[in-house]
Amino acid sequence: MERALTTAWFDEQSRMSPEDLLTVTFPAARRGRRGYDEDSVREFLRMVHGQYLRMVNERTSLWQEVQRLRRRIISGQAEGSDANGGPSGDSDGHVHAVRILSAAQVTADRYVADAQAYSSRLTEEARLRRDEIMQEAQRYSDMILEEAHAKAREAAVSVLETAPAPQTYQQQQAARAELAYLRTYGDVYRAHLRAYTEGILRGIEDWERKESSFGEEVPGAPIAELPMPDGNSYHYG
Amino acid sequence: MPRRGNWRLRRRGRRKELDVAGLRKNFADVAAHGDEVPLFFYSDLFIKHPEVRDMFPISMEAQRGHLVDALVKIVSNVDSSSDLTAFLEGLGRDHRKFGAVTDHYEAVGSSLLATLEYFSGPSWTPELKSDWAAAYDLIGSVMIAAARADEELRPPWWRGRVVAHERRSFDVSVLHVQPEPALDYQPGQSVAIECSSRPRLWRYYSMANAPRQDGLLEFHVRLIDGGAVSMALTSQTAVGSELRLGPPVGVLTLKQPASGQDLLLVAGSTGLAPLKAIVDHLTTLPQPPNVHLFFGARKADGLYDLDSLQKLAAEHAWLTVTPTVSADPRFAGETGSLPDVVARHGDWTGRDAYLAGPSEMVQDTTDRLMSAGLAKDQIHIEDFGWSEP
Repeated sequence: MERALTTAWFDEQSRMSPEDLLTVTFPAARRGRRGYDEDSVREFLRMVHGQYLRMVNERTSLWQEVQRLRRRIISGQAEGSDANGGPSGDSDGHVHAVRILSAAQVTADRYVADAQAYSSRLTEEARLRRDEIMQEAQRYSDMILEEAHAKAREAAVSVLETAPAPQTYQQQQAARAELAYLRTYGDVYRAHLRAYTEGILRGIEDWERKESSFGEEVPGAPIAELPMPDGNSYHYG
Repeated sequence: MPRRGNWRLRRRGRRKELDVAGLRKNFADVAAHGDEVPLFFYSDLFIKHPEVRDMFPISMEAQRGHLVDALVKIVSNVDSSSDLTAFLEGLGRDHRKFGAVTDHYEAVGSSLLATLEYFSGPSWTPELKSDWAAAYDLIGSVMIAAARADEELRPPWWRGRVVAHERRSFDVSVLHVQPEPALDYQPGQSVAIECSSRPRLWRYYSMANAPRQDGLLEFHVRLIDGGAVSMALTSQTAVGSELRLGPPVGVLTLKQPASGQDLLLVAGSTGLAPLKAIVDHLTTLPQPPNVHLFFGARKADGLYDLDSLQKLAAEHAWLTVTPTVSADPRFAGETGSLPDVVARHGDWTGRDAYLAGPSEMVQDTTDRLMSAGLAKDQIHIEDFGWSEP
């Protein structure tokens, strides 16, 4: 539309004006004939015809443009002040609609922000809990090791102290009994440790499952974030 | 007499200058209304052109901030047209991945004028209106021209299919993605990623490998607490998931690949990705420089890619890898904050440094290296700057 008008405006400059028509002159006819030279007149008529045709076409396209704008106004999409040069009932209605949509948007933004804050707190707590569990496990395993070491040290010392070179049958029996005792003790601790570790692993798996199902419950709920890159925003690990 | 800028435009055969001071004054008055302004703008735009709404995320809070930032940048740089042109060209190219086309520029211009008019109240004049319209015409035409030129070179976005998802630690996943069509980039660059479960949310991730024959891209994704996209990428993408990738951006690329200057690379957490891409590229050179890579995390399990780095170091004599842990004194290797560890590890003045990681770590390391005698242009960091939508 803009282009059509611009073209029309530029063409205006080269177009013949009504005044031009009045000042057109034709060469005289060949000797022996009356009137104007026929070829020149026909050429002139062709030009007038061309110009006329163009004006008709322009008029048609402008008419279509007017129709299009009318339809837009009717369907309420007129660009308010552009079309009627100032505030009107329509533009009041439009501002009203803008306010309603803005309020709705702000509400949606708040929901998303709340969800984000909640999700953030949840992950943060989970992370802390995980650190606690890991620390506790570390302490527990340290304790088991410490106790096993102490036992073993005691056993070794007592063997050194009580068992010089040749052993009596009773001494050998006692040493075997001590060995059997330590083996059992070790087995029990291993079983303890295994059960505990498996318990922790189950806990972690359970937590992962919950976490991923939590993620799925809110599909497509985008959460506003820092505008900086997410994954390579490089927080420590 | 109001000061006049150097922007001119030809209208109806005679020169008419933009009243830059007048535009600035008017913008300052309007901007004083705060968040109301972008809120009005987007509501006006969506009411007049409902089809545009789908190009934006559900929450518009961040988006409103981006709009105001961009407008402030444009209005305050109107005088230095070369800076502004570069900014607008980048913006125009960047908007291709959102699906922006020429028609949208007209719609945005009309809503921008309506917004300015609404908040200007009685101070709105026909002159202001025609000056803003002319200024927006210039802005839009620069953006559209840059977007058109870009169309000749590459698609607006690439399709990326996840072909492997490896969970390396509690909160770090490594994704392998096959882009379609092939995506060319420089080692150290990043792309914006959007995943289908978080429509219209784009986040930048660095490729962790140099361009490969098979075209695969490796991404290191760390779960950010409450991070929408990182959560979707780490816990909801699997083999076969479809992603959208924006064009490669970023300046953290090898500056003088042929100079033979030795390198210092300092990576905090998934900041490793761009630096590993650089190392990956160096392995293809006939005579790579000596490289010392520090890889830091809070706890030992945050060193999610150490095995692969140590394998590389074993294969290449020019590469040294030092893992460091900041919050676990029991760790068998280097402990302490990454800047401290780097600083006490010797004299780096002869090296070019590339840093990536948490912004605080990058800033601290930069300060330490500069006080140890490195020049500013020896230290390379990522600056996403205006490329963020």
